[in-house]
Amino acid sequence: MKQKIMQIFLGIVCLALFSFASTIDFTFDRYHSPDELNKILKDAAESFPKITKLHKIAVTRSQKEVSILEIGNETDTAKKELPAVFVAANMEGTTPIASEAALYLVKSLLEDDSLIKDKTWYVLACGNPEAAAHYFNKPLRQDPRNSNPYNDDMDDQVDEDGADDLDGNGIITMMRVKSPEGSWIPVPGEPRLMRRADPSKGEQGLYKLYSEGLDNDGDGEYNEDGQGGVNIGINFPHLFEHHTTTGGLWPGSEEESYYLIKFIMEHREIGLTFCFGQTNFCLNPPAGGRRGSVDLNNIKIPERYGKMMGLDTEKTYTMKEIIELLKPFVPEGMEITESMVAQFLGLGAVVNPLPEDLKYYKELSEQYKEFLKKTGLDTERLEPQKAKDGSFELWAYYHLGLPSFTMDFWTLPKVKEEKEEQEITPEKLEKMSDDEFIALGEEKINQFLKSAGAPENFKAKNVIDAVKSGAMSTKRMAEMLKKMPKPENSEQGGSEEEKALLAFSDKELEGKGFVNWETYDHPTLGKVEIGGEVPFVKNTPPADRVETLLKGQIPWVFEIADKMARIKIAKTDAEEIGNNIYRIKVWVENSGYLPYPTAMGERNTRILPVIVTVEGDIEILEGKKRSLIKSFGQQKSQEVSWLVYLKKPGEIKIQAVTNIAWKDSKVITLGGNR
Amino acid sequence: MKKIVCSSLILLLSLAASVNAGAADQKIAVPLTFDAYYSYEDVVNAVKALNKAFPKLTKLDLVGKSEENRAIYCLTVNNPATGNELDKPGVYVDGNIHGNEIQATEVCLYFLNYILTKYGENERVTELVDKNCFYVIPTVNVDGRYHFFNDANTSSSNRGLRRPKDDDRDGLVDEDFPDDLDGDGNICMMRKKDPLGAYKTDPEDPRLMVRIKPGEKGEWTLLGQEGIDNDGDGQINEDSEGYVDPNRNWGFDWMPEYVQSGAGDYPFSGEGIKAIASFVRKRPNICVAWAFHNSGGMYLRGPSVKKLTYPPQDIQTYDYLGEQAERITPGYHYLVSWKDLYTTYGDFIEWMVCCNGAYGFVGELFQSSTETFKTRKEEEKVKPETEAEENFFQESNEVERERLKFSDHLAQGELYKSWTAYNHPTYGDIEIGGWVKLSSRLPAPFMLKDLVHRNAMAVLFSAQNTPEVNMDIFEVKKLENDLYRLRVRLTNAKAIPTMSYYAQQHKLYPKDFLLISGNNIKVLAGGKLQNKYTDTASYKEHKPELQLLFVPGFGSVEYQFLVSGKGSVEIKYDSRHGGKVTKTLQLK
Repeated sequence: MKQKIMQIFLGIVCLALFSFASTIDFTFDRYHSPDELNKILKDAAESFPKITKLHKIAVTRSQKEVSILEIGNETDTAKKELPAVFVAANMEGTTPIASEAALYLVKSLLEDDSLIKDKTWYVLACGNPEAAAHYFNKPLRQDPRNSNPYNDDMDDQVDEDGADDLDGNGIITMMRVKSPEGSWIPVPGEPRLMRRADPSKGEQGLYKLYSEGLDNDGDGEYNEDGQGGVNIGINFPHLFEHHTTTGGLWPGSEEESYYLIKFIMEHREIGLTFCFGQTNFCLNPPAGGRRGSVDLNNIKIPERYGKMMGLDTEKTYTMKEIIELLKPFVPEGMEITESMVAQFLGLGAVVNPLPEDLKYYKELSEQYKEFLKKTGLDTERLEPQKAKDGSFELWAYYHLGLPSFTMDFWTLPKVKEEKEEQEITPEKLEKMSDDEFIALGEEKINQFLKSAGAPENFKAKNVIDAVKSGAMSTKRMAEMLKKMPKPENSEQGGSEEEKALLAFSDKELEGKGFVNWETYDHPTLGKVEIGGEVPFVKNTPPADRVETLLKGQIPWVFEIADKMARIKIAKTDAEEIGNNIYRIKVWVENSGYLPYPTAMGERNTRILPVIVTVEGDIEILEGKKRSLIKSFGQQKSQEVSWLVYLKKPGEIKIQAVTNIAWKDSKVITLGGNR
Repeated sequence: MKKIVCSSLILLLSLAASVNAGAADQKIAVPLTFDAYYSYEDVVNAVKALNKAFPKLTKLDLVGKSEENRAIYCLTVNNPATGNELDKPGVYVDGNIHGNEIQATEVCLYFLNYILTKYGENERVTELVDKNCFYVIPTVNVDGRYHFFNDANTSSSNRGLRRPKDDDRDGLVDEDFPDDLDGDGNICMMRKKDPLGAYKTDPEDPRLMVRIKPGEKGEWTLLGQEGIDNDGDGQINEDSEGYVDPNRNWGFDWMPEYVQSGAGDYPFSGEGIKAIASFVRKRPNICVAWAFHNSGGMYLRGPSVKKLTYPPQDIQTYDYLGEQAERITPGYHYLVSWKDLYTTYGDFIEWMVCCNGAYGFVGELFQSSTETFKTRKEEEKVKPETEAEENFFQESNEVERERLKFSDHLAQGELYKSWTAYNHPTYGDIEIGGWVKLSSRLPAPFMLKDLVHRNAMAVLFSAQNTPEVNMDIFEVKKLENDLYRLRVRLTNAKAIPTMSYYAQQHKLYPKDFLLISGNNIKVLAGGKLQNKYTDTASYKEHKPELQLLFVPGFGSVEYQFLVSGKGSVEIKYDSRHGGKVTKTLQLK
């Protein structure tokens, strides 16, 4: 009897525990709206009070909460000992899977203690809740702007002319209308798609294209001033572009972005960031090649300063040289810093990833590709987007100076071109000798020139002649072709992305990814056709695939988090040089894979040096009470040494402290044996 | 010009540099007086007193609180009898965003006191007040002003916000301030007798020192600002308050710390700064903005960075106002910020211009070169600039000698602390002395009134030039039954356009509206009248009853409408900066 009662009791306890956890909606068979996400985060915080804390950082105009869930073992202290990882998701609000990924991450963290053993996690499941809500509302439209009013057309009304679901199918698509002024034509071979007519090829435009809707305010424009607002995803301070219609008046102009920036800046323990959205720094390192970055080893001095300081304005100087040259001009004892000089000379910001940092991005990218092979998620898919100016991920790298990673989880599968085998690509061309090229014959060469988008006057015959005469070679041709922009719409069937979308819609969605053109009687445009691609099809996989995608990819977040810089005291050494005077040496190392700090973090001076201290009954004769290791550079470890006078035999404590890469301490006993 | 570049460098790098003239315990009463500086508490009492004395014309707003929870006030001057605040051109004036630049506040208070006490007495001032709405925040950096008055300082310290910052990046924050070792309320300089030093006593004034020439014997080593190594790291005074510069923390063209020192962690991280920004955003009528600083004697306009350009039409307006300011305040230069001073990112005035569409000026108050002590003959001698050129980060000794004499004879020595012996824990026997806190960048109180008056008049001139739009329906022609042609002229009698060209170019907000309405009419066509003699108009295809336009400074625009119907017609002009004008007429 007793046993039975016990069993029932245990059963009730189990049930209670089970149901406790199951009140959290960790299901991945559908997408969760911003309100549902908040509910889940709240439930998680209530179910795991010891290891979680919910930070409500902002409330949007339409009263949606922006919340960050903290998961870790230091939730009850403001001053953290452990480093943290910050994960931001769906900053543009147009990528539902990003929020699901954040949710999946939260679930993983709550299920596996080992993941939070030595670090804190901050998860922002949805950075742009107002835009994210569009996916869950009718009519379906994709728009990254929040709901703050914005007068797009600068007339006398605000947000007065948005899209309208004229055909009542619950989806905002496009309208096409035949017009002599039209500049669009159906794509040959795929009449569902539209592209601009190319007058140079004798084509004439047939259609005008509009987004679906009415001229609500009667100003002759269609849908030119819809609801909103600012795209939170481009409202961050690095390379923020002023005076755009969707970026906001200044970086952090919105509650959502301002309070996120503030939160992160106030949590100096954050040492690594992830952003889930439409870019993928795990796969493609952040892009470089932007003009305007100043090379600190080649600085030109503006004329008016050059004259006064007696410097050659034609020459370039290194930052170190300039600091030395300025010294005689400033009051004694005044320290000249790099940022002082940079400001004085107007050097501006870093805009390309620094080479030292690209090195680990590239290595990790190779590892990630291997990782994907193992999970079976390495099928060829369309490229992720490039990071936008003003985005969270660029800000995290350039301004926070942290390793900033992003993941996009899914894009449309690439359509395999059947002819691809025979086609000549620039890569193939490069490897071909001139004779091999000529041997292809005019027909093949003409075909190739056409597909490569070469100008009309580039005929096979001329090219062959040029190669023969030595004026042109396969190598040069390949180079030229590589530089040429890829034709946006290839002759047949539309762009790669459009083809991928149609193929996916036809094969996987029973055609629901594209609304076929249907005629409609428009009150002001007359007879129009409404149709086109369905919003979100390009970046939102069917819900039944979400779990597999996340299960396969989220673990990579933990892989990278394991690689964070980690400060350790590798070795200590103490040698008495006589009369209780000791030389203490300490080797501090970064035992993690990622650098301390990133080259960018060192450049922007935001990441503090490692602070190495020595304490005990001693007097320091040489060396600093707080020694600073600014960076490890290419070295694994750095040495710090002191000359100390030991007042009394005993323990000496040596500490190496950081905010973002843990800390370490060692105790050594000096003079104990005598 | 060299002088200006020179002083720009000093301003930029002014980390080294010092009469007690606080108006403590003085009873604040209207009219305000300007023979002493107002402490932070005095400033609060002064705006309250003005508000109490002029309850109908003024409104006192608590804009926000600072890092240390001090109140930031704005006194709004508007005559409700002549219209609502937002329906009039707004003139914004502030000062003392840098905590040490205290006379800027006095300019703001003087301006308020002047226009309020002259209202109803002086015709021009009355007209000015009736036409505009004024927003004046006398002290932006309230914590800075408080600490500048109450703590020991140099004339350049306590500039920033009270936001802790780890300047020396050792993990400890604000742990090594300069120290007022001799307890006189000033942070002066330290020097030590040292035969190996790089300086010797100036033979003409023993208080000054000159660099030794090669081969000469030294006498002094300079040890920097007064202080001790509080944190025992071997450096002295290396991590004092802040430093977040409140004038690098605004949202336009903000750049992080490593590009722009003092930027703060992100735009509007300063609490008071954020509060002022939202206060300003709620007042879209502001069309001209002044921010007062010290020093150098400059009226600066943007751009503050080279890559930014202002439309040439805007520059014409700036020139008109800036050149007049030069005339009003002799010795001051009207200059372009990035070109003539230095590049700044995230400053207040640029934000006013580029995000809010105002015309903005920075007034850099006071020139130490006005501290003169010369006979007529000496004055006539042309001064060679060679010495200044050699050492452009420091004033030439010649200038300093003269300023010392000025201090001796016009301030009875109060501007300079004579060198006094002190026993320093690290350096041993040293001397402390030099320019005191209330010197160098601040006029001696007897010169204050001239400074505040002239600068207030420069503001006043720009306020007189805010848009003043008149509407003239200069033709109502009956073309046939129930069809009329209306011609409307909008004229701006003043220099400032109803919308800046910058704001138009970057679509900061909608243009002015000209709207024709009536119960029994229909506007068939409407648009800009290009040539009234040839009857050429460019009609707007859609919604002809609503025209979007602006009226240039000292200029006019003409519009033509074809209206069918009869009866009452209302023509309404509605502008953010140009006010509102409505006229009605009868078609019959």
